[in-house]
Amino acid sequence: MFAGSRWKVRSRKWTMGNEKMKVNYYPGCSLKSTGRAYDESTRAVCAALDVELAELPGWVCCGSSAAYKTDRLLSLALSAQNLNQAVEAGFDELVTPCPYCFRRLKSADDTIKNDTALRGQVESALGAHYAGGVTVQNMLGLLRYEVGLEAIRAHVTHPLTGLKVVAYYGCALTRPPALTGYDHPENPQSLDEILRALGADVLDWNYKTECCGAGLSVPRTPVVVKLVGRILEQARLAGAEAIVLACQLCQANLDMRQQATNRSGAEHLPILFFTQLMGLAFGLPAEALGLRHHMVDPRPLLRAIPA
Amino acid sequence: MLIQLTGAPEVKAFRQAVTAGSGQNLLACLQCGKCTGGCPVAWAVERGPRQTIAMILLGLKDEVLASELPWYCVGCTICASRCPVQIDFSRVAAALVEIAVVEGRAPAVGDIHRWEEVFLASVRHNGRVREVRAIIENNLRARRPWRDAFMGLAMFARGIFSPEDMLAGPAQGQPTVARIFENVRRLQMESEKSEVDNGK
Repeated sequence: MFAGSRWKVRSRKWTMGNEKMKVNYYPGCSLKSTGRAYDESTRAVCAALDVELAELPGWVCCGSSAAYKTDRLLSLALSAQNLNQAVEAGFDELVTPCPYCFRRLKSADDTIKNDTALRGQVESALGAHYAGGVTVQNMLGLLRYEVGLEAIRAHVTHPLTGLKVVAYYGCALTRPPALTGYDHPENPQSLDEILRALGADVLDWNYKTECCGAGLSVPRTPVVVKLVGRILEQARLAGAEAIVLACQLCQANLDMRQQATNRSGAEHLPILFFTQLMGLAFGLPAEALGLRHHMVDPRPLLRAIPA
Repeated sequence: MLIQLTGAPEVKAFRQAVTAGSGQNLLACLQCGKCTGGCPVAWAVERGPRQTIAMILLGLKDEVLASELPWYCVGCTICASRCPVQIDFSRVAAALVEIAVVEGRAPAVGDIHRWEEVFLASVRHNGRVREVRAIIENNLRARRPWRDAFMGLAMFARGIFSPEDMLAGPAQGQPTVARIFENVRRLQMESEKSEVDNGK
């Protein structure tokens, strides 16, 4: 119903004769800084799957929530600049691991295409014609639907047997459904499916898409501490040993603010990117997956998985 | 799209400004409250999306623009995915913030607004946001320089960010980004001027 079918029909290149899949990559600002574990593990996993990542030349910030909230035209123009840049580089699709960049880039294209007056304003802001025609995707969707579960299963050499995890999607990947068109807005499955293919014990829980507080972490830390505390509590109640996600901002909030939520002295939950677990299951070296860049060290838990 | 035939002009003018800026048809609101029920920040502010929409429809412009919710909204869009008439309140919140900014009103939640300004300044000067430096600058401007300082040190020790993050200069695309910022500013000044000329 939520346009999942559109993703499924695109599972072509990889299974068709095993030639290398080439993907145009927009990492986003955070992945070059505090989200580097996500970038490193994404690159390692894609290399293992024979997916070649070509980084968009001269990419710039999408403006994130700051531009979206205070200045709509600026937000649209920054996204449009990146999409124009992609056309110039000869790309017809752009894949980003960051759910927020994904939503901004994708919705900017939709908005500009469907509003002629706004398109004119955006073009004056760019000082250029808006080319359009670039499909925007997120990394989770690419790996789940284009590379596919079969190919992922085929690469698993170290199954994550017995590792109890919950899949956390956050907000921006699946919502609003009319804009992102990705998976189900409140009960998505794509990440659960990947983790199951890796052999992990994926638990059901109710907080898959609850908000972590996002950018309020800087100016309003107590709000984020409260929201993060609820998510961690629910994950523990479900019996999870770790939370696995696909967003660097969710990761930062759940990882960094965990200490502040923990008044009862409960054991800390490692907060992992799904690409890190894919890499481990593929037998990639831990150093290539950024596993030391965590406030709650996941290595003791991960070492305990029977090889 | 529903249209409103009655009501005082100033009430309609504010409602129309929010409707146009957000692209959301607020007259369709059923006041069911599913938005507020799901909102992750409604508990932290004086009123949630449902009441805010009611106040916009009543034309309570000053009260709405002085309320905290538009600044707190993080755009999780749980409201949009649950709304029976497809109103995306995050777009309404963004339109309210933009109206307040354009009219030069003091932001209702100054420190959230400051963070957004610092973030965008970093984008403008570097082409990409330099997260760690932006956070430090925000905390200095908030006169709380030691906020999260220990956290920062612990993150640095774990390599979550590196010295290059602190020292990196502008990205390749920075001149383009700076030009976009200037063009947007110019376009906005032109449209404000034409509104004044039209006697609005």
